[in-house]
Amino acid sequence: MTSIQAELGIIERDFTEQVSAASSSEELQQVKVAFLGKKGAVTLILKKLGSLPPETRPAAGQAVNSLRDRIEAVIEDKRARLDEIESEAAERSSMVDVTLPHRGRSGGGVHPVAQLTHDVIEILAGLGFSVALGPEIEEDFYNFEALNIPQSHPARDMQDTFYFPDGSLLRTHTSPVQVRSMLRHGAPIRIVCPGRVYRRDSDPTHSPMFNQLEGLLVDRDISVADMKGCLETLMAAIFSRPLKARYRASYFPFTEPSIELDIECVECSGKNPACRICKGTGWLEVAGMGMVHPNVIRYGGIDPSIYNGFAWGIGLDRIAMLKYGLTDLRILFEGNVPYLLSGRSL
Amino acid sequence: MLISWNLLNELLEIPATLEEVVERLTLTGCEVESVDYPCERLSGVLSARIEELSPHPARKELFVATVDDGAGRELVITAAPNLSIGDVVPWGRPGTALADGTVLGVRDFDGVRSCGMLLSAEELGVPEIADEFGILKLPADTLPGEDVKRLLGLDDAVLDLSITPNRGDLLSMLGVAREVFALFPGAVWRKNPAEARPGDGASWPDDLEFRGISLEDDGCPLYCMGLVTGLKRGPSPVRIRVLLTLLGMRPISAMVDATNFAMLMLGQPTHAFDAAYLPAREITVRSARPGEEIRTLDGKDHRLESEDMLITSGGVAVAIAGVMGGENSEILDTTENVYLEAANFDALRVSRSSRRMGIPSEASYRFSRIVDARIAETTLEYIFSLLEEWGVARAGYRVLSASNLFLENRVVALTRTKLKRILLTDDIEDASAILSRLGLTEVASSEDAKSFSIPSWRPDISIEEDLIEEVGRIRGYNETLPSRLPGSLHEHGDIGRTTRLKRDIRGALISRGYVELVNYSFLSPSFVELLRLPGDDQRARPLQLANPLSAEQSMMRTTLLPGLLRSVGLAVASGWKDPVRVFELGRVFLPLEEGHEEVERVCGLAYGGRDPRLPHGPSDADDLFTLKGDIQSLAEAHGVRIEYAQGEEPFGHRGQTARLLCGGKPAGYLLRLKPSIERELDCSPLFAFELDLAPFEDPEPLRFREPDPFPPVYRDISMFVPVEVSAGEVADRIRRLGGSMLREVGLFDVYSGKGAPEGKRGLAFSLAYRLCDRTLTDEEVDSVNAAVRKGLAASGCELR
Repeated sequence: MTSIQAELGIIERDFTEQVSAASSSEELQQVKVAFLGKKGAVTLILKKLGSLPPETRPAAGQAVNSLRDRIEAVIEDKRARLDEIESEAAERSSMVDVTLPHRGRSGGGVHPVAQLTHDVIEILAGLGFSVALGPEIEEDFYNFEALNIPQSHPARDMQDTFYFPDGSLLRTHTSPVQVRSMLRHGAPIRIVCPGRVYRRDSDPTHSPMFNQLEGLLVDRDISVADMKGCLETLMAAIFSRPLKARYRASYFPFTEPSIELDIECVECSGKNPACRICKGTGWLEVAGMGMVHPNVIRYGGIDPSIYNGFAWGIGLDRIAMLKYGLTDLRILFEGNVPYLLSGRSL
Repeated sequence: MLISWNLLNELLEIPATLEEVVERLTLTGCEVESVDYPCERLSGVLSARIEELSPHPARKELFVATVDDGAGRELVITAAPNLSIGDVVPWGRPGTALADGTVLGVRDFDGVRSCGMLLSAEELGVPEIADEFGILKLPADTLPGEDVKRLLGLDDAVLDLSITPNRGDLLSMLGVAREVFALFPGAVWRKNPAEARPGDGASWPDDLEFRGISLEDDGCPLYCMGLVTGLKRGPSPVRIRVLLTLLGMRPISAMVDATNFAMLMLGQPTHAFDAAYLPAREITVRSARPGEEIRTLDGKDHRLESEDMLITSGGVAVAIAGVMGGENSEILDTTENVYLEAANFDALRVSRSSRRMGIPSEASYRFSRIVDARIAETTLEYIFSLLEEWGVARAGYRVLSASNLFLENRVVALTRTKLKRILLTDDIEDASAILSRLGLTEVASSEDAKSFSIPSWRPDISIEEDLIEEVGRIRGYNETLPSRLPGSLHEHGDIGRTTRLKRDIRGALISRGYVELVNYSFLSPSFVELLRLPGDDQRARPLQLANPLSAEQSMMRTTLLPGLLRSVGLAVASGWKDPVRVFELGRVFLPLEEGHEEVERVCGLAYGGRDPRLPHGPSDADDLFTLKGDIQSLAEAHGVRIEYAQGEEPFGHRGQTARLLCGGKPAGYLLRLKPSIERELDCSPLFAFELDLAPFEDPEPLRFREPDPFPPVYRDISMFVPVEVSAGEVADRIRRLGGSMLREVGLFDVYSGKGAPEGKRGLAFSLAYRLCDRTLTDEEVDSVNAAVRKGLAASGCELR
């Protein structure tokens, strides 16, 4: 009896000593085998139980089992601690330098004009305008005649045009899409026409190719007030804040009345008399527009006595320059990679 | 168009400041681009009489003048040789500022102290007005002590107006004064230069009698001829010379200045012929004969075409109508008698002639924008009155004229309905008041409509919308109208397939590290050579512009690649050394048998960089297959199936070029550039793809499949195949052999080099077998897989 108790006491003491000395999972495993393995100290004691007098066996058995359970618990606990220590060491030994550059390709770059074009289209889609596209090589009829710019009109002075030998031309504005779309869809109609346009001009502020965006709305009882509302909403969305607007009478052969829109200077809001962007005027000219001339509506196959509407055109390049703070127009079309990459955070 | 603020105020009493007028003009359609104060720094110059004049005691090139400005006499030293006692001249006392900002003081000239300076036209800031070398002489009746700046009108403000092409009527002081009159209801006319001052109507002297004017060209509906005799040589009055200068014209002589000044005032160009040199006492206006020649008064020779209109006399061309006079009858210093033309010419004809001949004269500019047909005779009479007032000639003879002019009385109606629809106002009385200040006359009126007669100087007004524009612009679009959103359509707009596709593709490529470019649609002819395109290649025959700006921009692009190559080339030339990818979305213009088509494309170009060292090793570098991955990501995102076939392009590496096919049709290429092109551009390696967007616009609809309930069974097959057999062909062969039970074939290894038989490479595929209604047994799979292996072996694959 007492000899078993004493033996268990010794085993437990030995175990405690050895387990605390184990410093790796291998050593711990050896300890486990030494006590709980087939020839382990606890196993051997269990085998001895059969030789004990029957009345002492239950108590002795309980004591041995209890010791085995304690040993197992201690080993599991120790194993968990050793695993944690070992995996931490393993992880630390495979540390990487997170400041290394990423693998593979660096981010690309957006072109400011393409980005703006898509942004503006999204804004106008929200106002119910659908995209309409047209050819860049255009017929004289759609580019001039149908827009109320007959041969004899002085406005042709304003637009020096690229021609092809067969008499077709590179469209000088996106307005030809107006008539094409009216002929195809009739009224009411709300369209937006983005695209490249061309003029025989090249100097630091003019490029022979630039990007325009035209809007057209034809419906019943449309007023100049409706046009103002659309344009102000568009400008506020482009520049992400409401902007003061100023409307100036102007002249375009295809609208009557014709109006130009100035917005408050996005750089100085009219507060800097030396501002480079607005030249101290406080205003930026951003759109030409007007109520569609009845002749143009008629060319579009729509009855101007029932329907009227408005159209506008904006220069996307100029607005992109204003929005993104660019200074040179032509560099936009020269595929300047370092320049375009400098705008990555756009 | 330059406008003198002083002169405007001589014509009109304006109840507003300069700033208010500028603002109002700008908002109502006549944008004031700038306001210039030409002699802003000039101040303190007074008129003074020369009382005594003697040579400088020590320096013979100088004079000592005693001058008096009414406030006292002083000595002033001058080098000018043109002075006499009694002349009234501009004197700058010490403290006076010259036009260039110099402030005068007292200066000692070898013992004589000069009190300030006597001044020349140049020192006043207007060298053009000098009529002789030296000190500017003021009119003899000028009192001493007057402020010369104000006296000469140098205190003026010059407004630069941007006149829209429909408003030819604003190309004169008269027109602008009419506009300002309409803009400010309190304005009152002081002096309307259009109010004719009829001459005495005397008959022409016999020796200058004119036989006739004949109009043989429809482009000249009206031709008036006046006569000036006894012309004296000499300048126009200094005040006129100042005005001409401020308004951008050079003073020349009294006669020329009178015609120019009249044009600036009334908008009607005129032309003066020396009566002694006009070939005959008759004028015929006719179309030029093709090839006919004339030397204009600027000494240049012009070959004419039939669209040009000529003024001829005795069969000799003496002027190009509305453009420029001929040298043969030009007025000179010696001219005594002048025939003076004031005519009306067709705007388009003049505009085309002057543009074709490159003569942008003041006259052609005005005729191109339509001159008021009723002002011609008035202009001659205005010039007569100027010449008489200046005392330089006898004028005022009866004006001769010939006319085919039919001036209809244009009447346009304005309705309350349309006024309300467009401007949201039904105040037709207010509208009528605005129109009448613009010179329109109400000729009929009812409850809901009014009709107006349109004055001859406003040919731009012909329909009701024109009247509404006049009312709208004068009322102003800012305060009088609200801003509102039109509400009759409510659906969301459709951005359309092409735009959506382009948006998605650019997003995908940008996130894959491509830089977006927008290049010109033009190409230089050299691209054909750069891309080694043979003559029969469609891309080598681009559409050509008839009037390009330069050869470099003379062709419409047939491929997007040259633009991208140029951009990368420029970047490299400017020191760029890293790997870079660029792309462009845009149109190419392809010539067809008849006409052309515009095709939307995307093109990508990857450059390996001058310095290929990468922090994670060379496996990060681009090659044909990274670009293939980019194309595949676009294709898969849009449900488009692209096939890749070994192919050739004139500019492609002969071993690394793929033709792209969609549904069996050519859709583009993927390639490495030809090594010789890489060398030429000094960029290597260069990989590129160009793809039509059309297949993407009509993709297969997205569909999902039920997951397979039973697990697949995998088998690997590894083999050596001849190098000329593509992996794609072998995979297709496996698919055919495997039948319906074989669901997936994946290539997982390609091996060539040591251990591979000569002329062969190793390929290893993983095959997935599966049925959808039950689990396959190993025996079934082995049996099919054995058949696949057997089939492959039979077709020349060496199985391992």
